[in-house]
Amino acid sequence: MAGGHGHEAHAAVSSSASAIPVGAFLAPGDPELTWVEKLYLPEIAKGMANTFSHLFKKTFTIDYDGTQRDDPRKFHVPSAGYRGEHYLKKDEQGQVKCVACFMCAAACPAECIHIEATAVPPECSDRERMPARFEIDMLRCIYCGMCEEACPVDAIALGPTYNMVSGTREAKVYDRDKLLQSGEELGLSLSKHQYRPDGIPGHVPEPKAH
Amino acid sequence: MTAEHYLKILPLLVAFGGVLAIVPLLVFLERKICALIQDRMGPNRVGLFGPDSPLEVLGIKTGEKRFLGGLLQPLADAIKLFSKEDIIPPHVEKYLFEFAPLFALLPPFLAFAVIPLGAPISLDGGKSVPVVIADLGVGLLWILSVASLSAYGVALGGWASNNKYALLGGIRATAQMISYEVGMGLVLLSVVMHYQSISLVNIVNTQVNGGVGGWGIFYQPLAFLLFVICAFAENNRLPFDMPECEAELVGGYHTEYSSMKFGMFFQGEYIAMLAMGALLATLFLGGWHFPKYHWVRENLGQLVALALSLISLGAKTMAFVIFSMWVRWTLPRFRYDQLMGLGWKVIIPLALLNIVVTAALNIR
Repeated sequence: MAGGHGHEAHAAVSSSASAIPVGAFLAPGDPELTWVEKLYLPEIAKGMANTFSHLFKKTFTIDYDGTQRDDPRKFHVPSAGYRGEHYLKKDEQGQVKCVACFMCAAACPAECIHIEATAVPPECSDRERMPARFEIDMLRCIYCGMCEEACPVDAIALGPTYNMVSGTREAKVYDRDKLLQSGEELGLSLSKHQYRPDGIPGHVPEPKAH
Repeated sequence: MTAEHYLKILPLLVAFGGVLAIVPLLVFLERKICALIQDRMGPNRVGLFGPDSPLEVLGIKTGEKRFLGGLLQPLADAIKLFSKEDIIPPHVEKYLFEFAPLFALLPPFLAFAVIPLGAPISLDGGKSVPVVIADLGVGLLWILSVASLSAYGVALGGWASNNKYALLGGIRATAQMISYEVGMGLVLLSVVMHYQSISLVNIVNTQVNGGVGGWGIFYQPLAFLLFVICAFAENNRLPFDMPECEAELVGGYHTEYSSMKFGMFFQGEYIAMLAMGALLATLFLGGWHFPKYHWVRENLGQLVALALSLISLGAKTMAFVIFSMWVRWTLPRFRYDQLMGLGWKVIIPLALLNIVVTAALNIR
């Protein structure tokens, strides 16, 4: 096999169309192979040694649905700004915080939030309306977090739940009670807006006086 | 039934049972080695122990800790392959389409017929019976001819599919196999010149008589190297997997195949690897021979020697299989003209040179 540089190779290609000379794909200025490299075998051995060393390296993949909750490499712990499944928050009286203003439904690019408003019971004086029906179609949701940003009373938020499997389509349409319940289960029902107004993840802003 | 009859059944059971049992594990091993080399985890879910165990369906508690996860992955894969719809596209040549996977699966099995699997057993009458399915005098020729048959599976599969990618894959496979068979035949010629026999039983006996120092690799190192390269090409393994070549040919010859017919091509590839590994061990690594064989046979009995020799051949075969997986995940694919260039312009001249040197050294 005759070694050839890039510029010599073009002439060879035009003379015989079938044979592509060695080095035909070298760019001008690429170093030529030494004869040890042309033997291939030492280079193959080098590559094999490289891959062999990888057999014993720590894996990059995280076994995210693992079994040991205290080990972050066995059990995935979402970061502070993680946008998982939604939950609805409650106020100090234990009532749904949402005032049924439809801001989230209007902001939602996937149009997956459906709200029906109703008047609040008379003992509740600080607002006028509450949702009679509040449904999020999780199959349409794109988890962008716009609803959370749009909410004027910090009533809806995206939680850390990432394991979103269900057997039926119907089960993925979450109603008001389900959303409130998942807030309870996560222990985040009374939480404040954790990482946005100022855009710093994990930063808890001071509560503002209304 | 006499002891001799049992000795006829034993190699059949070992070869066919062992190969069929080990192929699914090889698939798992390949995925696991691939994953580890790429710093991933590989299949680690479907195991007997731990939270996702299928035993939980039966109400058996399997504990919190996952253990040996992924070991049942081959079983899950097999269930998947069997339960998938077996599509026969309307444009295919139906009968050949159905037969091609069989041609891919059978020849590698046939190769095991002449490979001595274990240490010979001495019967009461003083007769020594080799543990081999068929003690053919022309064993090596049998292997070569059977190995050529496996090109039919790939070529027919590609042609019957009536699909340009599958056809290209089949044509490539045929050209590649024919080219490398020439090289392999020449390599084996020097091996035959060294052993002065083409019966695999005799070849192994020659190596056994010479002890570990008598293994073929020490007399024919160049032939060993060339044979390994040819073995990769014959098995269509990376870096020579032109017939499949996912990047250019979709799936190559098995593009149109689905369900268990695809599974048969897949299995055929692994069985061919096993057969090639066993042949490599037989020709160059002493076959079933292991160090201190004569001592073991005299002091611990011939049945212990037989068991150890079966394990020995299995270990050598598996070493080749694991080596070829390791190569697969290390080297990139050859370009087609480079592949042909290597076969015709490097391997064949070197094999011819090896023949000349062997002949010169064997002049007495």
